[in-house]
Amino acid sequence: MFKHSPLAAALLAASLAFPMATPALANADLDALRAELREMKQSYEARLAEMEARLKAAELQTVRTERPAPAGSDRLGQVSSGTAFNPQISVILDGVYYGDNQSGAGPEKYEHIDGINHGHDHEGHGHGELERGFNLRATEIAFSASVDPYFDANLMMTVDSGGGVELEEAYFDTRSLPAGLKIRGGKFLSGIGYLNDQHPHTWDFVDQNLAYRTLLGEHGIMDTGLQFTWRPRTGSVYTLLGAELLQGNEQVFGTAGEEVPTDRADGSLVVTGNGDLAGEKAGPRLFTAFAKLAPDLGDDHAMQFGLWGARATQHQEVHDESDPDAPQTCAAGGECVHALQGKSWLWGADWVYKYDAPGAYGQGDLKLSAEYIRERKNLTLAFHEDPAEALGQARKFTQDGFYLAGLYGFAPNWQVGVRYDVTGLTNKLDGPAGRIWDKNDSDRWTLSLTHHFSEFSRLRLQASTADLWEDSLNGVKNRVNQVFLQYQHSLGAHGAHKF
Amino acid sequence: MRYVVIILLGLMAQTAWALNVVATTASMGMLAREVGGDAARVTVLAPPDRDPHMLQAKPSMMRALRDADLVVAVGAELEMGWLPAASQGAANPRILPGRPGYFEAAAQVPLLEAGEKADRALGDVHPAGNPHVNMDPARMAGIARALAERMAKLEPDQAAGFRQRAERFAAAVAQRLPGWKARAAGAPGAVLFHKDGNYLLDLLGLPVLGYLEPVPGVPPSAGHLQGLAAKLKGRPGVILHHPYQPARGPERLGELLGWPVRQVDLEPAKEADAQAYFHLIDQWVAALAPGRP
Repeated sequence: MFKHSPLAAALLAASLAFPMATPALANADLDALRAELREMKQSYEARLAEMEARLKAAELQTVRTERPAPAGSDRLGQVSSGTAFNPQISVILDGVYYGDNQSGAGPEKYEHIDGINHGHDHEGHGHGELERGFNLRATEIAFSASVDPYFDANLMMTVDSGGGVELEEAYFDTRSLPAGLKIRGGKFLSGIGYLNDQHPHTWDFVDQNLAYRTLLGEHGIMDTGLQFTWRPRTGSVYTLLGAELLQGNEQVFGTAGEEVPTDRADGSLVVTGNGDLAGEKAGPRLFTAFAKLAPDLGDDHAMQFGLWGARATQHQEVHDESDPDAPQTCAAGGECVHALQGKSWLWGADWVYKYDAPGAYGQGDLKLSAEYIRERKNLTLAFHEDPAEALGQARKFTQDGFYLAGLYGFAPNWQVGVRYDVTGLTNKLDGPAGRIWDKNDSDRWTLSLTHHFSEFSRLRLQASTADLWEDSLNGVKNRVNQVFLQYQHSLGAHGAHKF
Repeated sequence: MRYVVIILLGLMAQTAWALNVVATTASMGMLAREVGGDAARVTVLAPPDRDPHMLQAKPSMMRALRDADLVVAVGAELEMGWLPAASQGAANPRILPGRPGYFEAAAQVPLLEAGEKADRALGDVHPAGNPHVNMDPARMAGIARALAERMAKLEPDQAAGFRQRAERFAAAVAQRLPGWKARAAGAPGAVLFHKDGNYLLDLLGLPVLGYLEPVPGVPPSAGHLQGLAAKLKGRPGVILHHPYQPARGPERLGELLGWPVRQVDLEPAKEADAQAYFHLIDQWVAALAPGRP
């Protein structure tokens, strides 16, 4: 390359000197010559720069390939782009364009699905009430890091579009217990079922299935306490056994610390005197146990079976029939308010099958899943405005539900999903003298189409049609059709592909 | 009866002696088997015909990791989507990163493309460096030596054997290296589907002419292929892709440029030994330098 440098310099000099040396030439000719020289100069300079770059690259290459492989050195740890001490942070943005055939009342119809938990939704609407049109759903923010050699910690919160912050999970995990044992403590999503510990951004559909929604609540069981898990050695089968001691706060099926109100929903005073609710028991009041089994089916297939149960040792609920949203109505000034307390049970079974096709970008992959949940509340009458009502009468509420879902990757980065979900196949209340009421089941069909632009962003179109009973006893049923167009973006730390 | 006792003792001895090694990919499994010899029992997690970026944590992986003494991973965030989740589900403290039971190949050798911009607008990038070190036999020799040291740490009685076998692998690589370089010398270079053959092309001194993926992790688009074809028109080259990568893009580009399209494996078979791995490199060299012996 040095051979060319003097030449370039000479050309440069010539281009500068030329106009003075030949004053007689016409201006036009001069301009043409100057332009030609300038062009030559530029082309030489470009070629020089290119050759210099190539030489540099070649030198680097030699250095790289001739660096000797380290003999006998061995480095611990891993190569990562994460910063060593700061937690890994990820943020999930989630937005929905929504429409329905109920003039925007679709979400409300879902709140009023007829069942044993009707009107007792104690959850805040953390993931937001949908409006027709554009909606920003709750933004998930997650932090995770190792605390020290003994603990990992995770934090997950959501911020809704109005700025409301909800702490969904904040827990530690042990990392050095032997024999396949692990303890988790703090606030977390229970390990029961298949979907319960999944956050909305890992769902295959925009919304929660009906069985979870009506029996566990929009989030599933999310509570504060301790979780113990054990993975015993069981040959080629993966086995996970777990048990949880949870506080029992504000669960759909486990609520303590309720009080008989002083005012009715219509504003009139409650007549007290006949009974009262017991005080809040010391926690933990909610216990769960679960087992998951997964046989080894080779590289292409994977399957997992689960069975679980949960018990709330204190459950209290107040029924106020003067509330316009209540399932029954009472005459103005009548005996509208009563309260129940007792214990409740939940059990469920879950099944997941996955086929991993050799195709790239998820083409040919298949996922099938199904869950069944049954809830039973064994309550007694603890308070009634009507002094004639005998306290201690039994009220046994039973309801169940299930979903079946399938997801298929029909093209690279494209998935189609189908789901059928039902709640209330059994949907009944028994009293001391037999059946008090039987309600109908609500069901839904859902179809979704998802496109993954990359691993970190997706667009989903979902349509569903549901027959939702609002009041079985008076024959009020709603046909709710919904359509969603959803985007989800994940920023920051690379998420895990959980089973 | 005596035989039964002997067999039982033999079985017990087997489980007591052998190091339970779980390798993430088939080439890491090959390395663990070559270095560990009879003193290691090796399980491979990722099927060789799947994209190692896109796997999901499966219960069978957790099952294998539950009892592992040593995990041999490629690292540099290649297995990021599934290994942390599977380790989490395995609850085995011995194999967590930072412990002697976690070995990362990428941590043992200098990486190409290290320190590039960490910006996902550029795709599913690995700012820590290109993780596909298994495609460089020379680096693999260095990794084998480091793995021998690690195994020696875990099983000091067998240290001499581990080191000896690592040296044997390194010698086998050194013996083949000049042949590979000679065969590839002067070859025109290749268009790759993904940034996974870079280490081998770098070793052979061949240029990577382009990638079918517009940015890592995004499937090829028609516009991108047109652009590539316009840029490379008139010069020679080959197009390489793996069986798990869709063939349509490579074939389209092959038609546009009139270049040969060749399918090569990124990983040897799950039970591969060094011979099978060298055969894989032979396959690449042959694909890169067509028409030579």
